[in-house]
Amino acid sequence: MIISPEVLTIYIIDAIFILFASVAFVISVRIVKNYDVNATTALQYELEKKSYLVATIIRCLFYIKVPFFLFFIFILNNISFVLPGAMCGAGVVNSSSAAVPLLFLKLLNSYLFAYWILLDKDDMSIESQPYIKQKFFLYLLFYLLLITEIYLEFSMFLNIDITSVVDCCGVIFSHTDGSYMAQFFGLPASFYITLFYGNFALLLLSYLVKSRYIFALLNLIFVIVALLSLIAFFGIYIYELPTHHCPFCLLQSEYNYVGYVLYSLLFLGTFNGVVIGLHLFSVDVQKEKMRYSLIFLMLYVSTISYYFLGYYLKNSVWL
Amino acid sequence: MSRVINFYLLSYSIGSLKREKYKNIFLFVVISLLVALLASTFFLSNAMKSEYNTLIDTYPDIVLQNQKAGVAATIESSIADKLLLLDGVKNSEARVYGSYYFNHADSELTIIGVNMFTPSCSSFINDLMQKHSLHRGEILVSSNVKNLFNNYYYKEYFNFIKSDGSLKKMQIDEVFKNSKNFFNKNTLVMLKSDARDIFDYKEYEARDIAIDVANRDEVVSIALKIKRLYPHMNVITKEDLQVEYENLYNFKSGFFLTIFIISFFTFFIIIYDKLSGLNGEKRREIGILKAIGWRVGDVLNAKLYEGAILSLSGYLTGIILAFVYVYLLNAPLLKNIFLYSNNLLKDYTIHLSVEYETLALLFFLSVPIYIVATIIPSWKIATLDADEVMR
Amino acid sequence: MIELKNVSKEYEGGVKALNRVSLKFTEGEVVVLKGMSGSGKSSILSLIAGLCKPTEGEVVVDGKHISKLADHFATSFRRENIGMIFQKYNLIVDLSVQENILLPLVPLNLKNDELEKRLNRELERSNLVSKKDIQVKKLSGGEQQRCAIARANSNNPKIILADEPTANLDEKLSLEFIASLCEMKRENRTIIIATHDPLFFDLDFVDRIVEVGYGKIV
Ligand SMILES: Nc1ncnc2c1ncn2[C@@H]1O[C@H](COP(=O)(O)OP(=O)(O)OP(=O)(O)O)[C@@H](O)[C@H]1O
Ligand SMILES: [Mg+2]
Repeated sequence: MIISPEVLTIYIIDAIFILFASVAFVISVRIVKNYDVNATTALQYELEKKSYLVATIIRCLFYIKVPFFLFFIFILNNISFVLPGAMCGAGVVNSSSAAVPLLFLKLLNSYLFAYWILLDKDDMSIESQPYIKQKFFLYLLFYLLLITEIYLEFSMFLNIDITSVVDCCGVIFSHTDGSYMAQFFGLPASFYITLFYGNFALLLLSYLVKSRYIFALLNLIFVIVALLSLIAFFGIYIYELPTHHCPFCLLQSEYNYVGYVLYSLLFLGTFNGVVIGLHLFSVDVQKEKMRYSLIFLMLYVSTISYYFLGYYLKNSVWL
Repeated sequence: MSRVINFYLLSYSIGSLKREKYKNIFLFVVISLLVALLASTFFLSNAMKSEYNTLIDTYPDIVLQNQKAGVAATIESSIADKLLLLDGVKNSEARVYGSYYFNHADSELTIIGVNMFTPSCSSFINDLMQKHSLHRGEILVSSNVKNLFNNYYYKEYFNFIKSDGSLKKMQIDEVFKNSKNFFNKNTLVMLKSDARDIFDYKEYEARDIAIDVANRDEVVSIALKIKRLYPHMNVITKEDLQVEYENLYNFKSGFFLTIFIISFFTFFIIIYDKLSGLNGEKRREIGILKAIGWRVGDVLNAKLYEGAILSLSGYLTGIILAFVYVYLLNAPLLKNIFLYSNNLLKDYTIHLSVEYETLALLFFLSVPIYIVATIIPSWKIATLDADEVMR
Repeated sequence: MIELKNVSKEYEGGVKALNRVSLKFTEGEVVVLKGMSGSGKSSILSLIAGLCKPTEGEVVVDGKHISKLADHFATSFRRENIGMIFQKYNLIVDLSVQENILLPLVPLNLKNDELEKRLNRELERSNLVSKKDIQVKKLSGGEQQRCAIARANSNNPKIILADEPTANLDEKLSLEFIASLCEMKRENRTIIIATHDPLFFDLDFVDRIVEVGYGKIV
């Protein structure tokens, strides 16, 4: 268990999240059950008012959740200084079984909440409110995910044992280890280069073709490809060390916090791309989203390439 | 795409804040004071932490402590020589040191015993002994201690009181410059034999054994080896100490945080109350806005902007106040809570050490929480019925 | 243009303000709603503006079933199509003249030059150019009413709803107000005035006078 001011802060914010998300949940249940656009009853009038409350709560939660996610990662890196053996957030994550699902859930929830906000925006621009039930029903599911996330977060911090020695990222992401990670590191550089740039080239193509499903699907794949190739291959050019594979050290000051930039770009790009597959926007909005997606991903790819090619230009060798 | 921030709405919000001057000044002052209070404690405890870290850097890699009935006890000096034979051990030293309570001045002095010709495990002592020499019955004192002694008219010599009540007179030989680290400020150095005399140790006794290792990566394995050799003794590595201090200060600031949270929640009950209580004029204003075409969302945004402006400016002011209080004014009052009320430390100046996470943490505890706390009152305002303006 | 179909309005507490009222207004028409206090004139205007919902019946404005829209959309419709003038001016007295005039445009987040254009137009029309930075509470009654008209016009509405616009004005100012109504009529706006001020009852540009009594059209 860890009691530090940072962790206490996380608990407090989480408690507030639970409180407000639950208020929104209760209202959503009533809206899903009773909302009727055509009714002129007092109940309908009340639900209509309450729907604003839910939307505002969800929006606020999301806008707090995003920077709070970054804070969380930052704190993981910090706790690593207290944990014997850990050098970065990876050691902390590895020390608790709740941590890996927690990270994935946090990521997933960020996408889902952002999607909800867009859905709400779209719904509020059409007079018949075609998505009203859908959006509140979806929130019921998202609420469960959010609560799971917070539960995992609590149990992670409660279970971290500050006296036992944990592995550092060098061990967790090592070449020689027999783990499934090590198998990825063994793959040739050409594999990652083709996969990463190939995926991006397909994205560009599908943008020209303007097929929203293909574009969204390629974006979804790109999330995985980008993360995998970053850990397995491109990361070593940022660290300038052939054996350093770690998604967390990127976030430390030694590397100018470049990780925050990279992950933000990747999120913004892929979110705008994936969401058009989930929801049918008006033609203009869809075009706009595709464009945003492409711009952010282009920035991501350029930043990665800058490190990758930059290393070669400086040292005239590949790692 | 429309601009993300509506500046006209923002300026409406600012105007609206100004129109309820007294209420908002009150809220602003409370937020900044709470943030300032918490920020000061964090700045101070961060400063302490970094002092400890520089201190711990001068510590030996491993310390071996004897225990009797679970309590720290003296150790045989000869163990140091045995440990020197272990692979990977660079140096080992039987240390004689401890704190001495100087009654008249109500101050703790730290006595460090040295050997003239064998190197110590402390770089601080090694540096010192290159510059100064010591003989039996002589002490080397830091300038801080020198001043203290002067105040009590010990100019040439100082009388230590031994455990049997007799006096041991020591010549004040030389003065060394205060170390930058404040934990080293009240140090005085003498030969180990003299120190043994004062602490009432036998000739073969020492306080503990310090061990330096050649390769830092081997600290853990060597510590384990030593533990196996002396299972009844306590083996402490440098890293253990670091973690321990870190937790100690986290705990101290956690305590403050708890107080802070309680006051903050009380505060939110107050704002909730303040914001929900709407006078007729305010209700009318909202009615007008809605009648002329402001949607619920627009009114809500205006209110959320108000909350954001208020809490953000309160946060920034609080941080600036804390900077001034801790780093410029040297944290009067609060310092006493974090430091022992030791006279020698009175003139300790706090070194600037700001951690980003502290600023981020304070941000999360003030701005988003305030905004979230205002959601429900704002929503109540925004969904007031508009047809009231027709009456 | 505007149609009330069998509209009833019952307030909380069981007050029946309107009882199965049917009314029609055509585009460009100027109609005066007259009737005693409490007869339901203001309620009719509120319903047309979408400020409240009927308990029964339907209100259609410019082809939109405004009584069936959620508040959000009713408000959007109002801000694009309807300008409101109230008995008590209903200005925000701590704000300046220009701030009040621009208030309906704030949520639209328009470009700066567009705002300037509309502001200057309304200031000139209402003859308030020299007063634009003065707080509304320091204005005279007539100036306040002109400011209220300017605000109602700032979003270029097709429909103007005025509720007892001359109740707080003396005769000279009331005539001034009527003159500005006449000007709006020339711009082909639909204007509905709820009033019991006899000044309105024999004006040549008024197309129709509808009498409301105890929730019914007489
Ligand atoms: N919000 C309300 N709650 C309860 N009763 C209301 C409400 N608004 C209006 N009423 C009642 O409905 C009836 C009609 O009111 P309305 O304001 O439409 O009349 P009016 O013709 O405009 O009167 P006046 O000339 O005095 O303005 C009145 O009896 C009034 O008391
Ligand atoms: Mg009326």
